[in-house]
Amino acid sequence: MASKSNRAVLEPEIEKNGHSTELQLSLYRMLMKCRMCDEKARVLFKQNKFAGGNFYSAVGQEATEVGTAISLRADDWVAPSHRDWTANIIKGVPLKFCFAQLYAKATSPDRGRSSPAHMGYPPLNIITPASSIAGQLNVGTGVALGLKRLGRDTVVVAYFGDGATSIGGFHEALNLAGVHRLPIIYVCQNNLWAESVPLRLQTALTDLSQRAVAYGFPGVSVDGNDVLAVYDVAQTAIARARSGEGPTLIECKTYRWYGHSEIDPARYRMKEEVEAWKKKCPVQRFEKALFEKKTLTDAKKKEVTDEITREINEAVDFAEQSPYPDASELMDHIWA
Amino acid sequence: MARTLTYIGAITEALGQELERDDRVFLLGEDIGPSGGVFGATAGLWEKFGEERVLDTPLAEGAIISAAIGSSMVGLRPVPEIQFADFITPAVDQIIQQAAKLRYRSAGGFNCPITVRVCCGASGGGGLYHSQENTAWFMHEPGLKVVMPATAYDAKGLLLAAIRDPDPVLYFEHKRLYRNVKDEVPEGDYTVPIGKAAVRREGRDLTILTYGAMVPVSMQAAGDMSKKGVEAEVVDLRTLAPLDKDTVLSSVRKTSKCMIVHEDKRTMGVGGELSAILSEEAFEDLDGPILRITGPDAPAVAFTPPLQKAWIVGVDQVVAGIERLAAY
Repeated sequence: MASKSNRAVLEPEIEKNGHSTELQLSLYRMLMKCRMCDEKARVLFKQNKFAGGNFYSAVGQEATEVGTAISLRADDWVAPSHRDWTANIIKGVPLKFCFAQLYAKATSPDRGRSSPAHMGYPPLNIITPASSIAGQLNVGTGVALGLKRLGRDTVVVAYFGDGATSIGGFHEALNLAGVHRLPIIYVCQNNLWAESVPLRLQTALTDLSQRAVAYGFPGVSVDGNDVLAVYDVAQTAIARARSGEGPTLIECKTYRWYGHSEIDPARYRMKEEVEAWKKKCPVQRFEKALFEKKTLTDAKKKEVTDEITREINEAVDFAEQSPYPDASELMDHIWA
Repeated sequence: MARTLTYIGAITEALGQELERDDRVFLLGEDIGPSGGVFGATAGLWEKFGEERVLDTPLAEGAIISAAIGSSMVGLRPVPEIQFADFITPAVDQIIQQAAKLRYRSAGGFNCPITVRVCCGASGGGGLYHSQENTAWFMHEPGLKVVMPATAYDAKGLLLAAIRDPDPVLYFEHKRLYRNVKDEVPEGDYTVPIGKAAVRREGRDLTILTYGAMVPVSMQAAGDMSKKGVEAEVVDLRTLAPLDKDTVLSSVRKTSKCMIVHEDKRTMGVGGELSAILSEEAFEDLDGPILRITGPDAPAVAFTPPLQKAWIVGVDQVVAGIERLAAY
């Protein structure tokens, strides 16, 4: 009989008392914050504020990150990719640093070394990503191995897309995690397109969660645009990881509204597909449900969005006013 | 107390002593556990320290290195093994895009103090895929340190230095030296500094810059030529990245002539880099061209004996190089 740790399908455990009002409001606030920050970043990109660099919008995918990252502890690790700039926001990185990163200023956590949106933050254990696809999965799996060795109950959450599930490194990382029951949650944001390559040319599978069977741990597919569903699955997976039961692969079915990057007009996608997914907007959907329950009111919404707007404006001012690093820094931080 | 150990014995001793001394250290690789490594480099360690500290990994070089990188980021000191340098290629993305660049891309926020042991070099019958060195690829990556000892003393001392180094180090062990090199190795704790070459033989007529299995070959050639009145100075580089320019330049300024000897292929090898450094920084001191005696630009060491013999640099080739340079 399959033990709890290697059964193929994960059954998420819903919060004991349902989802508290406090939790729902904090999920909503974070969804709005990610949406508003992301759209602001897109505006700034168009204003050529990012020194010629690109930006990788996650608009449309917010629930996948908010649901999985919102309850992480400060010491938990996050392994983001190029499309997970908002993971930093959710984990609590001061917003001014998030915008400084886009601007590549000296006040950015990596002093402008990385391209916009390739963001990490050492004080909160967010691994500065390389651009190599699935690289963050590999390093994150190594971190999980170390954490297990040290006997901690800290966990790792690694983010990646559908494309990343094809590359060898994905296989090697999950295989090792399965062998050693590592405390890592693999979150696949399946948005049906790896840049311009559609899912049908990427894999023979429809449900990427099935890949977990090959590695001996549970995989689960979830509506990635339903923040409560994502939250519930994530809570179960995080609890599994913390208690030593091992990894989980969560496939969040979602969609990115815009191109692979801001310079990609995404002409390879049909307009009908894009419009259909916009109707399933994770933010509007949740907002509507909260209004229906009267958890949210117009006044409360305004309070939330006004506060976020203030925060964003302050953060952008900070980024604008920050200096670029000096060229003399070129050879810094190569060696200890 | 002085006693002799083989080169591979020195490696085993270094690993065992460091596992004992530092709880954070652990080994990982293929066949390193109960098997003790395919050449015996980790013999007895699994028995003594267990699977927690000496771990057999899945067959996946990329995962071996990324497991090391990640676990070093939470404070451990992993020593992963690449069983043959010929199989380092699946791990190259992790080594070059992750390990070499982690500190730089995070402006010092993250680093990965890993030591990758890599068994390399041509031996009798190794063939195309058990004979490669491949050090040059990694010398080209700022952020990585690359070392290759040539003596048992250095094998232990450099390995301990590498494990304690806060930067990622690729520690290449030449398999032909494993049991053919034996010298005095102190029983206690000591390190050999990374980034420092060693003058193995003093001479006033010309400088031989070399490393790894070519050190004994160069020493033999130098001994032969000494009988003909030519005194060659032999410098064992020990560290390929960062190169010890001070020792190299000081030797060449003394002798005015230089040849570089390495087993690895000619083009874009260590010899090319040293030649460029010397021509830029010791131009006025040179009385002859900078020669390179190296492996051929053939894809790999073919197995059949006549081709293998032709591939591996022998004493005769080094002697011919010394004669040519001395005649200038």
